[in-house]
Amino acid sequence: MSPKLPELLVGLAVSLSSPAPPEAGGDYAAGRLGLVATLLLLASQEAERGAAARIWENAAMAELLGQPLPPLDLAWSALDARNAELRRALIALHISAEDQGDRELQTRILGLYEAMAHARRLELPG
Amino acid sequence: MSLADNLAAYLTRVRETPTRVENLARISGGASRETYRFDAVSGPERLGLILRRDPRRSLIDTDRRVEFLAIASFADKDVAAPRALWLEEEGAELERPFFIMSRVDGGEAAGPFTPDAYGCHARAIGERFFSIMGKIAREPVARLPLAQAAIAPAPEDCWRRELDHWTGVIDADETHPQPIVRAAIRRLGRDPPPPPARVSVVHGDLRSGNFLHDGVGHILAVLDWEMAHLGDPLEDLAWAMDPLWSHPGDPRVSGMVTPDEALDIWRAASGLEIDAKALAWWRLFASVKGQAIWTSAAKAWSDGGMTEPILAFSGWFTARAQDQILSRRLAELGPL
Repeated sequence: MSPKLPELLVGLAVSLSSPAPPEAGGDYAAGRLGLVATLLLLASQEAERGAAARIWENAAMAELLGQPLPPLDLAWSALDARNAELRRALIALHISAEDQGDRELQTRILGLYEAMAHARRLELPG
Repeated sequence: MSLADNLAAYLTRVRETPTRVENLARISGGASRETYRFDAVSGPERLGLILRRDPRRSLIDTDRRVEFLAIASFADKDVAAPRALWLEEEGAELERPFFIMSRVDGGEAAGPFTPDAYGCHARAIGERFFSIMGKIAREPVARLPLAQAAIAPAPEDCWRRELDHWTGVIDADETHPQPIVRAAIRRLGRDPPPPPARVSVVHGDLRSGNFLHDGVGHILAVLDWEMAHLGDPLEDLAWAMDPLWSHPGDPRVSGMVTPDEALDIWRAASGLEIDAKALAWWRLFASVKGQAIWTSAAKAWSDGGMTEPILAFSGWFTARAQDQILSRRLAELGPL
C-alpha cells in the first residue's frame, strides 16, 4: 500500500516545517495541523500492527500460492517488496481461477482479500 | 506581488473598475484545486467571492473549464449551484488556470467522516440532497453550457467510458499491486449494467461533505463540481451511497436517510426509474472509482514533495477503508 509509514512520517515532518504564505493561515492552517495530528495517530496504529500485518499477509498469500516461505527480512522495505511480488502472483492466480471457473479457489481468494483488508485497517480516533 | 495583489489587478482589468481584494484566506475546498475566499471591493460595493486555482500538484487532473461550465449550467435551477463568474484557462495575472464564482456565506460543510454530522436535521438535509441530485439528473443536457465541453456518450457506452477512465488512473498511478480493486474491475467488465434511459449530467462527487448547510436543515450550496461529466445518472446516486460516507454502524446513507428513502426521493425528483441490476453495478463501480482517486492522491502526495496532508490522508486512510468495503462486497457477490 502507499504511502508507506517511513515516507509518511517524513512527509508529516515536511508538512510541519514548510512555510505557508500569509493567505494560508487562520482556519486553513488550523485544519491542516489537525489533519497532521490525525495522521500521526493513524501512524501509531500502523507502527503497532503494520509489520505484523505484512508478515501475516505474506505468509497467507505464499500458502495459497503454494510458495515456500523464504528467510524473513523484517525491514519494512523488504516486507513490502516481497508483498508486491506475492500480490502480483495472487492477481494472476485469481484471473486463472476465474477463467477456469474454479469457484472454490475464487472463494478462498475472496476470503483472503477480506482478511487482508481487515489486517491493514486504520481506525479514526474518537 | 502577492496573490491578493495579482487578484486585484485581474479583477480591476476584467471589471473595468478599480478593485481591491480584502480578507483573502485559503479554505479547505477539495484537494484538486486551491480554494480561497475573499472580498472584491470597488467603492461602496463589496462582493463575496471564491477563487478556485489549479494547484501545482493535484489529487485528480480535472478540466477547470468543465467545472466552470457545470456550475454555470445549473444557475437558477434550484440545485444550490453557486454563480460562475470568470474563467481564465491560461492563468492570466494568477499564473495558473483559475475561475471565480460567487461565495455563499453562513454555511458549513460537514466532515465526510464525522458521525451523525446533521443531527436532528438529517432527514431534512437528506430529502433536499437527494432531491437536488434527482433534479440534476432530470435536466436535459443538450442546451446546457456544459455540453460545450463535455462529450455525451451513447447510453450503452456510459459504463465502459467511466470504467476505462478510472482503470486507467489506477494503471498510471498505482505504486503497489492492489488485488482487491483489480478483482472488482474484472467483475465490472464481465457483467455490464443495462444502459440508462437517457444520458444526464453527473456531478461526479456529490456526497456528504461536498455541500454547505446552514445547521438547521437547509442546503445552501453544492460544491466541488470538478468531476462533472455526462453519463448514467445512477453514477451519482451510487457514489453518494458508498459505505465510505456512512459512519460504521449507521444504516443511513451519508448519515441522512435510509437507502430506500434515498431512492424514493431521487426517483420522484428525477422522474427516472431505478434498475436494480444497474444500481448494483454502479455501486461496485463507485468503490472502484474511489480507490482510483485515493491511489491518485497517494501519487500526488509523493510527487508533490509530501507537503499536503490531505493527499496523504486520502491515499492512506481512505484507501484502506475503501479496500475493506470492496473486499466485503466482492465476498458477498461470491465467485464468478
